[in-house]
Amino acid sequence: MTVTLRINGDLRSFATDPMRPLLDLLREDCLLTGAKSVCREGFCGACTVHLDGAPVPSCLVPVGLVGDREVTTIEGLGLAGEASDPLQQAFIAEDVVQCGMCFPGMVMSLGPFIAAHPGASAEEIRQAMTGNLCRCTGYERIVEAALTALGAPR
Amino acid sequence: MGAPSEGRLIRAESVEAALAASASGARFLAGGTWLMRAPVRGERLSGCFVTLSGIEGMARVEAGPDRVEIGAGVTHEALAAALSGLSGLGALRAAARGAANPGVRRLATIGGNLCAVDFAASDLAPALIALGAEAACETADGPLRLPVEEFLARRAALLPGALLRSVSVPLGPARSAHARLPLRKAGDYPVAILSLAAVIEGGAVKAARVGVGSVEPVARRWPGLEAALAGAPLDPDSAAEAARARLGDFAPRDGVEAEGWYRIEVLPALVRRAAAALLAGDAG
Amino acid sequence: MTRPAAVMDLPRRDAADKVRGRTLYTTDRVRPGVLHGAILRATVPAGVIRKLDVAPARAMPGVRAVATAADAPGMHGIGVADHPLFASDRVRYNGEPLVAVAADTEAQARAALEAILVEIELLPAVLTMEAALAPGAPIVHEGWKDYETLFEGGEREGNIAWVARVERGAVDAAFARPDARIVESVFRVGRQNQAPFEPRSALAEIRDGRVEIECSSQVPWTVRSVTARVLAIPESQVRVTVPPVGGGFGLKFDATIEPVAAVLARLTGRAVAVVNNRQEEMATCLCRENADIRIRSAIGPEGEILAREATVLMDAGAYGGEQVFLTTMTAHTLGGNYRLGAARLVTKAVYTNTPPNGAFRACNGVYNTFALERHTDEICAALGYERMEFRRRNVLGDGDLGATGQVFEGDVLGPMLARAEALRERTGSAKAKAGNRLYGRAVTVGTWFVFVGPSTSTVNLHADGSASVVTTGVEIGSGTMVQALPQIVAAELGLSPEKVAVRQADTDAGGLDMGVGGGRTTVSLGAASMAACAEVRRKLFDAAAELLQARPEELVLREGRVEVAARPGAGAPLTEVVAHAQARTGPVSGSGGFTRPGVPAMPGCAAGHFIDAIDIPVFCVHDAEVAVDPETGHVEVLSYNVVQDVGRALNPRAIRGQVQGGVVQGLGYALHEEITIDEEGRMRQVNFESYRIPLAGDAVPVALDLYEGAPSIGPLGAKGAGEVPILNVGAAIACAVADATGRKVSQLPLTPPRVLGLLRGRDPELRLDHV
Ligand SMILES: Cc1cc2nc3c(=O)[nH]c(=O)nc-3n(C[C@H](O)[C@H](O)[C@H](O)COP(=O)(O)OP(=O)(O)OC[C@H]3O[C@@H](n4cnc5c(N)ncnc54)[C@H](O)[C@@H]3O)c2cc1C
Ligand code: FES
Ligand code: FES
Repeated sequence: MTVTLRINGDLRSFATDPMRPLLDLLREDCLLTGAKSVCREGFCGACTVHLDGAPVPSCLVPVGLVGDREVTTIEGLGLAGEASDPLQQAFIAEDVVQCGMCFPGMVMSLGPFIAAHPGASAEEIRQAMTGNLCRCTGYERIVEAALTALGAPR
Repeated sequence: MGAPSEGRLIRAESVEAALAASASGARFLAGGTWLMRAPVRGERLSGCFVTLSGIEGMARVEAGPDRVEIGAGVTHEALAAALSGLSGLGALRAAARGAANPGVRRLATIGGNLCAVDFAASDLAPALIALGAEAACETADGPLRLPVEEFLARRAALLPGALLRSVSVPLGPARSAHARLPLRKAGDYPVAILSLAAVIEGGAVKAARVGVGSVEPVARRWPGLEAALAGAPLDPDSAAEAARARLGDFAPRDGVEAEGWYRIEVLPALVRRAAAALLAGDAG
Repeated sequence: MTRPAAVMDLPRRDAADKVRGRTLYTTDRVRPGVLHGAILRATVPAGVIRKLDVAPARAMPGVRAVATAADAPGMHGIGVADHPLFASDRVRYNGEPLVAVAADTEAQARAALEAILVEIELLPAVLTMEAALAPGAPIVHEGWKDYETLFEGGEREGNIAWVARVERGAVDAAFARPDARIVESVFRVGRQNQAPFEPRSALAEIRDGRVEIECSSQVPWTVRSVTARVLAIPESQVRVTVPPVGGGFGLKFDATIEPVAAVLARLTGRAVAVVNNRQEEMATCLCRENADIRIRSAIGPEGEILAREATVLMDAGAYGGEQVFLTTMTAHTLGGNYRLGAARLVTKAVYTNTPPNGAFRACNGVYNTFALERHTDEICAALGYERMEFRRRNVLGDGDLGATGQVFEGDVLGPMLARAEALRERTGSAKAKAGNRLYGRAVTVGTWFVFVGPSTSTVNLHADGSASVVTTGVEIGSGTMVQALPQIVAAELGLSPEKVAVRQADTDAGGLDMGVGGGRTTVSLGAASMAACAEVRRKLFDAAAELLQARPEELVLREGRVEVAARPGAGAPLTEVVAHAQARTGPVSGSGGFTRPGVPAMPGCAAGHFIDAIDIPVFCVHDAEVAVDPETGHVEVLSYNVVQDVGRALNPRAIRGQVQGGVVQGLGYALHEEITIDEEGRMRQVNFESYRIPLAGDAVPVALDLYEGAPSIGPLGAKGAGEVPILNVGAAIACAVADATGRKVSQLPLTPPRVLGLLRGRDPELRLDHV
């Protein structure tokens, strides 16, 4: 079956199984490997992409259900230059990253959350991260960096 | 991977088309968060699927004076948002907001949550049971409306021939609350869930309905506790005590995450939490 | 002490790519055209292979090669070569590789596996150590006597893969003293899965006749040697490179699927990728092993520890692997922490028909510390000592003897306990947050070590004033390759760290290295790099001496210039000196090596030990407050304070990140991460639904006090800081839960059902008669 998707602004057609996870299409056919395949069951969030701006685990989205929603991956977030997003900048500046596998998903999940909740508390940020696991960092610095990105006093 | 497969995913624009596809072997696909995990369960994601999102009204929440009609395709996130202005439905709103995680709540639908036959830990199920909701199905023999607890008990036989069209929740004087117990703070399936709805008049419980999920393979009411709560003021501690006296009412399931004894042993605590939340009104 | 130039909070240079999804881990390098490998695994725990017909698989669409034991005849192992790549005759665990297939797509490879005809005659299996040690138990390795020994000295017998023993002092006499009071405890812990986000992955191809493997490994040199062994080819025929690794935590210390990719590449002559899916990754995870422990102590009238006796059974699973080596470490943990009059410590690695175990951050130190600290609290409870006071008077100090008779230098744990109390004063107590739940607190101590051993480094100084460092170190997330290493080299050469490029993990480019883990990277690679820099400086100063008309000893490196120390401003830019050297004597480079210095132990007290004494001890003190819900058994960690001996903190901010991460991983071990083995010998928790690693809501901010100044042979006095933060977490939480509940806490993890069971007295007290 031919599936046509708008990915990071480009309209592209694929001859593929409509029940294939969007994650696999992005990684294998588009070589967009920023979304990671970690648990493939919705628990870790490392595969998070945006559908019309809303973060979802792409491992659970069959390509046939994407329809005309715009797919944005971590690669499509900013332009080619510097990481301009305040959250990404805070992650870099505050030395938050370790192995890094969870971070594209963290950025994709937390970015829209903090944009929509400029007054979010640390506890609300933790709750928003319920679907984003990290095995390395112990989370606290991610939360702190998110607060920095919000301009919250610390 | 694999060759392009024509017709593996059909989009139904009507109930009739969906039922026809189902009759020829296609499975209903809603948010996909259960179905897409087939490989993780060691199952194959083979055969044809029919998506229901094209059917009129599937993704709509309509609040009338006496009832709220929730299309089966409404996601957890949309449901929580739609209920925010309505009083009495605290249990359902808490269930929709507390289940899973934000990304999954954006995808998973109420229909998929109630129709995943092997899924015992649904949050919405006990909440809908406590609220006295009804499931509106479409079958080859015509529409079928039945209480959610009955739908759940019979769903293994009813599905896949039937399609869940919507869920109808009565509005009334009852207040409600939802208490769930994951093993971590959040994020995992709750090992036990308890939803409580009660009409309180003159300081006493006039009527109570209790839904219990994840304890047995299928969520159900707890009539013994409902009777015990009726007639007296709602007091969290005595409600918990009443629950403790009736733990024998359940035949709990063993699972990898918790054995049966644990699932019932924690019910008094959940009753106390639900009663306290209901009184505080903070679950609405 | 003046602050060395190497000390700074250098940010990670790899962070910008990582947060933008640009970093290519091994799993991201599987490009179109690469063949996909898949592995057929046994589905029974023990049996004899009666039939293995792979012909139908060869005939399946897209299949390019099928590999079996015949293609990988060699055996590998640690201490004993007991481990084949594919089972050939006997199956020893559920999940053991039987056949590998390479095909055009992963789906084709997996479909081909299903076509293989396998008949395995079931044999009785031993799934627990108790069963393995029972008289007349089936023997997991019938031919154990004939295996090649790779390290001498370990006792072996049937299902006992290895025994390490320590006996120092008159143990029996101490226990027989009339005034000795004897306390005995038993403990049991389950397995812990490292669950790194990047699964084990390997890409192999043949280039110029050699096997080249790109993989997600912590020890490229181990992949090189194991691949050569099992393929029975010279090691020189194997090259291993490692791109950034998406987490390891010890799991990637051993080679597992890399040689499989190599076999398939040799058979096909093409590039082949083998990437575990999450279920395979978890079902075959080389976990932190489950263990059964018995400890007895004889306490003297003054509250001193006259003698200690302990037996530790470590479940190796079906093959010895790391557990054989790790038997050594019991002595250094159970014999650490406290001054012991005499000690007898016996550790056995036991074969069972279960998936093999491996190394996980601080390894058996984590549960031995749990056992030791809980035992210490049981001593205090039984004999009426205050827990903190007992520790203060008994912790190891300057000149005290370790288990094997090594002499500890410096008073470290004592002052650290005082620092922990001061830290608690600053942070205050979070007791109020317990509400009407049960409140408990515990302060525990821990002793671990830096796993040193060989490392190599080459440093090139270029005419543009930049440097490059070549090692076989790997960046697994801990930051050493992007922080400590460039910091050290930059400081040695008077450069800014941005000017120091670090080439990672290529066995053709860098020399022998024991790998990244065990807290060793900063120490071993740092020391090797300092030695390399010394050579660079020598060459540089020789060239500059000529240019500046000065003696080499008078010269210093300062901010990109070579200057005469006594005459600030008199000198030449580095660029000029390097250009001069290049023209006169050749480009400026230096090489350095490092290995363990070999701290002496008391002769004759240890047997079967891979390390008789620990070269760099590391100490820590953890102080936790918990609240236990008496109705559900949920444990909430209210506060967590750490005092950690780091020697010298080169990048304090990065260390804080490691401590936060290590503590939360430890909380997973203490509270959530449970693995049980089913009746078929499989782990039940093989996905993220059932294996519960901590989420943001389960974490707690760690208050940290870095303890500097303890003796260390590490570069600039540094010690490894990334491994040890997990060491005491199980101990601190268990002791705090015991304090809160008044119950004997003898097992981990403390999941809500286990804690509620304890509170309700559901389970009989743990007895481990087989230990
Ligand atoms: C990480 C994670 C955590 C989760 N945690 C929770 C939790 O804590 N609590 C909770 O309640 N849920 C939780 N869930 C969600 C739950 O397990 C299901 O995945 C989800 O509710 C299914 O909804 P869906 O719309 O995605 O269904 P789908 O996967 O599309 O379908 C599920 C089943 O229902 C059938 N079906 C769907 N719609 C209809 C219909 N209208 N009529 C007839 N049959 C239909 C399908 O054929 C299929 O058999 C979690 C899920 C994930 C991935
Ligand atoms: S890979 Fe999609 S949520 Fe884990
Ligand atoms: S940084 Fe490694 S998983 Fe988050």
